[in-house]
Parts: sequence; C-alpha cells; structure tokens
Amino acid sequence: MNQGKYYPFAVVIAIFGLLFVVGRGFQGMWEPIALIMFYVAVGEAFNIFMGFTGYVNFGYVVFMGLGAYGMGLVLSSAMLKGLGIWILIPGFAFAGLMAGLLAIGVGAIALRLRGAYFAIATIGVNEGVKYFIEGAKIWGGSEGIIVSKQMKMLFGHHLSSQITTFWADFMVFGIALLAAFLTLEFLHSRIGYGLIALREDEDAAQVMGVHTTKYKNISFIVSSILAALIGATAWCLKTTYVFPDDVFALSYTVDAIVIVMLGGAGTLLGPIVGGLIYGILKYWLGVLLPGFQLLILAPLIIVIIIVFPEGIVGVIKKRAKGKRLEKFVV
Amino acid sequence: MNLLEIKGVTKRFGGLVAVDHVDLTIKDGESLGIVGNNGSGKTTLFNLISGVYKCDEGEIYLEGMNITQLPAYKRAHLGLARSFQIPRPFGQATVRENVAIGAFFGSLIGEIGEKGALELAEYYLDKVGLYEKRYEIANSLTPIEKKLMEIARALAMKPRLVLLDEAMAGMNPKDIDQVVEMINKIHEEEKISMIAMVEHIMRAVVNFADRVVVMDQGRKIVDAPTQEALRDQKVVDIYLGRFALEGSHAQG
Repeated sequence: MNQGKYYPFAVVIAIFGLLFVVGRGFQGMWEPIALIMFYVAVGEAFNIFMGFTGYVNFGYVVFMGLGAYGMGLVLSSAMLKGLGIWILIPGFAFAGLMAGLLAIGVGAIALRLRGAYFAIATIGVNEGVKYFIEGAKIWGGSEGIIVSKQMKMLFGHHLSSQITTFWADFMVFGIALLAAFLTLEFLHSRIGYGLIALREDEDAAQVMGVHTTKYKNISFIVSSILAALIGATAWCLKTTYVFPDDVFALSYTVDAIVIVMLGGAGTLLGPIVGGLIYGILKYWLGVLLPGFQLLILAPLIIVIIIVFPEGIVGVIKKRAKGKRLEKFVV
Repeated sequence: MNLLEIKGVTKRFGGLVAVDHVDLTIKDGESLGIVGNNGSGKTTLFNLISGVYKCDEGEIYLEGMNITQLPAYKRAHLGLARSFQIPRPFGQATVRENVAIGAFFGSLIGEIGEKGALELAEYYLDKVGLYEKRYEIANSLTPIEKKLMEIARALAMKPRLVLLDEAMAGMNPKDIDQVVEMINKIHEEEKISMIAMVEHIMRAVVNFADRVVVMDQGRKIVDAPTQEALRDQKVVDIYLGRFALEGSHAQG
C-alpha cells in the first residue's frame, strides 16, 4: 500500500485547487468559498483527535479562541512593532504555544477520563477559560482585543485590507492542507495504528503494547495546535478583532462534530467532504431563508447521520473496496 | 532460566480471593495447559500476567526480570502476548490492520515500519488461514475467525510467550483439532512458549500441552506432565467425579 500513500493527497490538492479557482474566478464567490474552507479546515483539524481516538472534545473551540488571542496579543505588542509582515511568524508561534500548553495541561488531567466524562470535562475548560478572561479582565476582558489599527501600522493600509479580504482566507487553505498532510502521515505510521487500536478498544490496545495515554495526548495536542492556527487567521487576522463571546462560542465545536460525522470520522477526505456540504448548506440556506437555516439543517443532518453512520467517505470507501478507486479514497 | 516465573501471586476482589498464592513456572519453548472450572481464577491469573490487573501480593518475572509493577503495554514490548476469552477485535479496522497493530507494538516496537508490519500481518494471516479475508472489516468475521485473528495478532507481536484464553471455546471437535494442529505447528516452527487456558476441553489439552496445571477456587491444585495430570485423583474428582455425581443425581 505504501507506494500509493500520497494518491489521496492528490485528491485533496485537486479539491482545494478547484475551490480556489472557483473562488477567484467568479464574482462574489470568494466569501462563500472562504467560509467553506474554514469549515473544511476546522473539520480536518478536529478529526485528528476525534476521528482517530473516538473521544469528543467539546472544548475544541477554546483552542481556536486561544489561537486568536495569541495572534492578537502578538500583533498588539509594542515590542514587536519593527517586524512588519514577519510578525505573523511569532504570531502563529505564540498562538500554537498557548493552545499547545493548554492542551498538555488539559490532556494530562482530562484524558484520564473516558467517553462522556471527557466530553463534559472539556466543556468546562472552554467555559472556564472564557470566564477567567472576562472576570480577571486580562487581555481586554469582555471588551476583547481590537487589532485593526495595529495591523494598519504594521502592514500598511493596502496590505492589511488585502489580508482581511484574501490572505487570511488563503492561509486557512494552507492550514487545512497541513492538517490533511498530518492526517495522512498518521494513517500510515505507528501513531495512527495505535490510535485506531485505542479508538476501537482501549484496554485491548494496552495489552497489545499501545501506550494509549501517550498516543491520545499526541493527537490531542496536534489537533489543538492546528485549531489555534485556524483561530489565529480566521478569527484575528481576518476579523481584526478578538471578542471572548465570539471566539469561545460552543456552537463551533458542534459544527466540527457534525462535519466530521457527516464526512466520515478517521478518514482523510471525510472532513473535506463534510466541510464542503456543511459550508454550502449553511451559506446558501442563510442567503435563501435567513434565520431558518438551523431549522432545516438540523433534521437534515440527523437523517444523513442515520443513513450513513460511517459518514459519506466511509460509505464510498466500502463501495470502492477492490476497485481502482480504492487507492484514492482514504 | 525459566521464561516466566510467578511467585506467590495473589489477587483479591473485595472479600473474594480470585487468585490465591499461585506459584508457576514455564520454561523456554514449553507449552502449558491451564485447566479449571469457571471462577477458578484462570482468567484473573492471565490478567495478572499480562498486566491488566496489578498483583496484591507476589511477584512475576519474565526472563529473570521483575515485571510485577510494569504496565501492560511495556510487558507487551518485552514479549508477552495474549488472546481474549471473548474476542476483542479492533472492530472497524480491517483484519490485516488488526494484525499489523500487533506487529507494530509487539517486541518489534520501534524497529518495524508500516510495510514490514503489513507484511508480517499477511504472513500470520496466511498461517491461521485468514489471508483471503485480510481486507475485511474485523467485525464482519465469524466468532471462530475472530479467535483465529486474535491468535495471528498475538503471533505478529513476535512474543516470547503467548497466553491463549479459551482459544477453542465454542468450537466443534473438528475445529478444535484443526486449531490445535495449527497451534502445535506454530509452536514448533516459531519456538514460542505458550500457555493455553481451557475450561473443559480436555481433548485440546491432551493434544497440545506438555504440562497441565489445574486450578480450583483460586489455588493451583495440580501441576504435572499432561498424562500424569489426567490420572491425578483431584483432577478426576473435579471433572469426572462431579459429572458422575450429577449423573447419579439425575437418576435418583
């Protein structure tokens, strides 16, 4: 199987390329494409933990939020003013570091819990971080951080408006690609095999030699850092502000769960397909029937999840078994 | 040196002493059968050896090394492998992936890549006769196939010692003979020591084990070469005697 390892990655690049061309080539298409790509990236990053381990991280959004704060704090720091556009490097690094440190802490405690207990503990983390920021009045408290002025100073008027309308979205493409690449690497390495074993039967996996705690934590931390990178771009560079109510909204975690389930948990292409469908539905329903999108979306998603419990890509994977298509559907 | 040495191992669950000061040794290359009724402590003993439970008392040595406090996954890296009484496949993974997981995380951990693990998986799937089913989802196998897959998974770990927990339960005599023959063949070819635990199926023990240990209420009551053990009065009492008694009850 090794010789065809990167075939599915070609599919990923083809889909992303097509989206990019559609977004740039047609008037008014970039905004919807950017939204779809945001969901694809969120799903792909979330999948690295939920898809591989079967654990549901309800506090996922806290890592996206911290990423946004990480970037916001670096952009507004007086010390780094001279860096110009290069400030994005410490920005992303700090976003990833904050999320990574929190993931190490949360993982060390919460990953001792299984199933629903873990999910509940992670909700607590998200709410806790949000109320801590607001209550302790750090990082602007409930007012948040506004970086539009700093961005203009750092990047100039022209570039900073280009960042919010194009480059931030483009970076989301890049992060999604990175997440997809890591997923593929996981799938073909000891980490991936160990994670699948622990997802299916944690006790049996231990007896088989899988250091389950270690692998759970690795995937939790990787998934969290990717979430932070998405937050840093989509919720800070693009919006030019970071408000705690926006970046710690639990509904984004629900979006991520639906995308992964819809597309196929633990697969490479699942979150892409899930993100595409979810993004398109959410956007067009919002345009056609504003206010009603959730009412239509929710039952639709229930139906899809009942009909395809393995997700769309899971079903295609089964059908493709033994055919030439098999190499491309992972 | 003994491959496995168990000294005075005890495990209590509340007031129940599931395993009561059991001593047991197994030499390199030996195959041992453990016989005992339901509740006699066999599975608990297996769980103590493989590290699922920690001993309350006593010590366990693998090749002279004290492994009493080691977590299960480290014991697996040292060459301990097992199958489960009720098969525990990694259900949504393919049969080949299941066995490859064994290869990845067994005594070859860190030394084997994906290609090697998959090749080893196919080699052992061929041995247990599941090669044709390698791309199937493990949950789709029949119960007997799942047991065979677990044996392949344990062997792919390249272990020093394999613990087979009721590997033949639920099989008909023809299947049992076939599995025993297969296990014996692997035992000879690979020079792996094996401990097989069975509840009733004497047929399997006689054809497989060099030595038989009989457990009753958490204690080891017999430890002797197979033929000798079968003639032991205590074994007769536990197995044949009870059946004879039940028979007379039924008649009376």
